[in-house]
Amino acid sequence: MVTQDEVRDEIRLAVPATPEFLRLARVTASGLASRLQFSYDEVEDLRLAIDELCFALIGSRGRSGTVDINYAVHSDALEVVGVGNFDDDQTDPMLASFSEQILTALVDDYAVYRDERGRPAFRLVKRRQPTTDGS
Amino acid sequence: MTLDASQRDELRRKFVEFAETRSPRTRDELIEAHLGLAEYLARRFSNRGEPLDDLTQVASVGLLKAVDRFDPTRGVEFSTYATHTIVGELKRHFRDKGWAVRAPRRMQELYLRLGRTVSTLSQELGRSPTIPELAADAQVSEEEVLEALEAGQAYRFASLDAPSPGEDDGDTISSQLGAEDAGMIDAEHRVVLSPLLAQLPKREQVILHLRFFEGLTQSGIAERLGISQMHVSRLLARSLAQLRSAAEGS
Repeated sequence: MVTQDEVRDEIRLAVPATPEFLRLARVTASGLASRLQFSYDEVEDLRLAIDELCFALIGSRGRSGTVDINYAVHSDALEVVGVGNFDDDQTDPMLASFSEQILTALVDDYAVYRDERGRPAFRLVKRRQPTTDGS
Repeated sequence: MTLDASQRDELRRKFVEFAETRSPRTRDELIEAHLGLAEYLARRFSNRGEPLDDLTQVASVGLLKAVDRFDPTRGVEFSTYATHTIVGELKRHFRDKGWAVRAPRRMQELYLRLGRTVSTLSQELGRSPTIPELAADAQVSEEEVLEALEAGQAYRFASLDAPSPGEDDGDTISSQLGAEDAGMIDAEHRVVLSPLLAQLPKREQVILHLRFFEGLTQSGIAERLGISQMHVSRLLARSLAQLRSAAEGS
């Protein structure tokens, strides 16, 4: 589990729960991944995964409310937790079966759940793969 | 776009023929005959901060839809019908993309330049480059690279050579991919995503399969299919968006 590593930095972002603001969630994630020396391939995977999980919370048209996103920077991994604060919160967050398949290929660990306060949430972990030339 | 009476009659005849046969060749001819209309309408939207090339692509998608949906028995001129559809597509383009697409032209250009940098560096290094490496090579800051990648996300529209959803573009695909690749997606995995997957153009189905079932990286797919990694990236992002909205609707 990544959470056993020391968290070196933590960044929090709260954005309106609409598709146009997911851009900020992606940019923040790729900015942090870049600091961790993730490869371009890994950054692209991370961006797709963030999209997939955020859309699982807000749906393609967005919701009324915010998504609070917490980025925890570990020594060789980025952990992202998103929590929805929605005005109207009826449906459980869920992933389509293809989303599961996709996320399995994109990230090292992920989950969609309700947090301890019953809010819809997701979590993902993306590790940097060791490179052969040591960079 | 002006046509003389005989050309108009000829096109009318082709629409009737297409309505009956759905022949891909007739469809291509009809699309080609009206590309000028798509270009004309794209130009009318070109002073809004979007590159004309992108708008022409969007307009072409609208034209494809118009050709596919046009009913010649309704007594409406195709050009009238198509103008409506194409303008609708262009408007949706601006509406959906919001401020994300009004990325400065400079970022769009950097994005395109980075596409080449990614290919060159991947080959030189024998692995996917990091963002700092891309920035150093392109002589821009890391922030600019990240911003450009994000700007590129908006630049992911169907090109004219992409088939309409659900259509099999057998010839095109077989010229790009080995028979193994084209046949691969008919394997059992297809069932998992079916029928959502079947709605995507075949090339996107193949890319999804390679990425998510075969576990190839984006750069690996780019190499295998002989297209740029950024194109793979755009197509993946677009396919996933389509699958998401299709899953929601189902």
